[in-house]
Amino acid sequence: MIKILIVDDEKPICDLIDMNLSSAGYSCVAVQDGLAAIEAVEKNAFDLVLLDIMLPGADGYDVMEYIKPYKVPVIFISAKHEVKDRVKGLKLGADDYLIKPFDVTELLARVEAVLRRYNKTDKVIALGDVEIDVEARRVKRGGSPVSLTSKEFDLMQLFVENRNVALFRENLYERVWDDEYFANSRTLDLHVQRLRKKLGWEKSLVAVYKVGYRLEL
Amino acid sequence: MKFSRKLLLWTTIIIAITLGLSGFYFVNYVFRTSLEREVGQALDENSILRFAFQTAALNVPLKYDLLQDGSVEQIASNLETSGQGSGRLLRLSDEEKKVLYASDGFEADDALLEETEENRYAYRVIRQGERYYIQTGSSVNALGRVLYLETLRDVSQVFAERETGFTVYRRLMVLMLALGIVIMHFIASRLTKPIRLLMKATREMAAGDYGYRAEQVSNDELGQLTQDFNHMSEALEKTIDQLEEEVQSREEFVGAFAHELKTPLTSIIGYADMLRSRKLDEEKSFRSANYIYTEGKRLETMSLRLLDIMVTKKEGARLQKAATETLFEYLRNMFLPKEDMDFQFSYEPAVVTADISLIQTVLVNLIDNACKASEPGSRIEISGHVVEPASAKREKEDKKGYWFGVRDHGIGIPAEEISRVTQAFYMVDKSRARSRNGAGLGLALCTEILALHGSRLEIESTPGQGTTVSFLLREEGKEAQHEESHV
Repeated sequence: MIKILIVDDEKPICDLIDMNLSSAGYSCVAVQDGLAAIEAVEKNAFDLVLLDIMLPGADGYDVMEYIKPYKVPVIFISAKHEVKDRVKGLKLGADDYLIKPFDVTELLARVEAVLRRYNKTDKVIALGDVEIDVEARRVKRGGSPVSLTSKEFDLMQLFVENRNVALFRENLYERVWDDEYFANSRTLDLHVQRLRKKLGWEKSLVAVYKVGYRLEL
Repeated sequence: MKFSRKLLLWTTIIIAITLGLSGFYFVNYVFRTSLEREVGQALDENSILRFAFQTAALNVPLKYDLLQDGSVEQIASNLETSGQGSGRLLRLSDEEKKVLYASDGFEADDALLEETEENRYAYRVIRQGERYYIQTGSSVNALGRVLYLETLRDVSQVFAERETGFTVYRRLMVLMLALGIVIMHFIASRLTKPIRLLMKATREMAAGDYGYRAEQVSNDELGQLTQDFNHMSEALEKTIDQLEEEVQSREEFVGAFAHELKTPLTSIIGYADMLRSRKLDEEKSFRSANYIYTEGKRLETMSLRLLDIMVTKKEGARLQKAATETLFEYLRNMFLPKEDMDFQFSYEPAVVTADISLIQTVLVNLIDNACKASEPGSRIEISGHVVEPASAKREKEDKKGYWFGVRDHGIGIPAEEISRVTQAFYMVDKSRARSRNGAGLGLALCTEILALHGSRLEIESTPGQGTTVSFLLREEGKEAQHEESHV
């Protein structure tokens, strides 16, 4: 299980990140000030730290400096949006910089990306009778391989990474097809139908009215 | 062309013209004096010769009634030789101006002869080849004849002297000019040094170095200019610093504002997104909705506070006479029903000139802050009294007015934070302030209101023991503003 430390002085934001990351299968610990963050990193081995900048005790930059020797990947999450702040954060050795207010799916994608860079993702994801090898882009169902097209695989990966989250049609188009969303296009629905059939997800990959689709597992 | 060059050029021209003219005049004057003397001598010589001729003519044996031409020649020849090698040159002509005798080398034309009349002198300066002569002419009466005697006197020396004078003077002038140029160059560069220094300062300032000052090297008008320029730079630097400070504080405000705005927005957007896109259990749904509600409320509080500040700034204060009793009565009614704190009011009745609703806002804010900083049940003292100049002797003499103070026995403010607590969005203990629904704008609003009354907050605090926040409504300031408000 991947352990993530959330540092933010706002309880609501800590909770928000915690809820989302937990449901995506990460284990989270949240602290509300800089000194507690340093203590937490010293005591436990985390795979990733999500760090706010404006913190009581010690600010995010100080915390970053301090925990550098532990070589834990860090993503800054801050309302400071100016280029100089972002550059400062990244130069200090952060792996990414996310500006508040952020989109939860973006947060998940960035967490995923940083973890992937450090080879910390679980390489094989098992969901029911479906086994997914993200690195090799291979899928097995009940032990026997399933052949998916490249777009089908991308789409499935997106659903798997955002389990239990309704994904908007326009969002899916953007991420899988790198394209603007065409309101009348049936491409997405077609791919979803094929996925359901190939992976036996007729019941779990549900349509959400006026939104898009959600993988419920 | 550079100013110093111009100065140099013109001085040189003027020196050259003055030296040239005066030199020419002087040399010529010397020359004229010499020439006049020579003329006088030439005329004297002429007279002597005439006299000598007449004497000689008397000694001629009188064979005829008239002096014979031969005798004239004889006498003239004698006269010439009696000059003893002094190069005496003479010419004698008869009544018809026909030349009777002429010395060797007497080659002048007859122009002077024509002019010479009986009993009259005449002279002129002539040039023969390289040499200059004074030619004199006069008539001689001897033995019934009128003869004309002309002499030549060599004055080449005088002319040569004039030439030498010019040459020497020219050399002297060149020397003087060269010397003058060198001296003037130094003087000009010294005189224009302040200008050059000023120029450098102007350039430095234009390039952004507002702290640069021109060095003052003289006490004349240019020195005065330098001084004035430096005064101007100082004023300019001060203004720029002030503007920069203002810009920075505005930037800080915007930054803080953005931060305060984004934080609740992040929660609201995040939880709303969760609610709309996820299947959440009941507990999570409630928590999300609750966060949206509280964070939304927080935004509301903040925007209302900001609006208050803006409206206060824009509308200003409507100053009226009001009794402090009404004010304290209002506060008492507002706070005494709250039983979680021990409020104590003590005040002197008086009449103040102020916008009483705004002062009310300030006091309510201060009391609120005191409550937030204190444990439940602790004492909060709200007091007001008249300040007479006599009772405030240790302070400045103009401290006359009405003093308001709110004292709590709460956590206090660390000394290094006191100066910052009136900044918008500044919170000493964020999580604590947040949990009590603070936006960090209360003291900023108070500062704004008091500024309209010509007053400001005084904060005294000891961490762990409590804080006293006070302000003084001045009488003088009030009256001045009172008049203004009627305009």
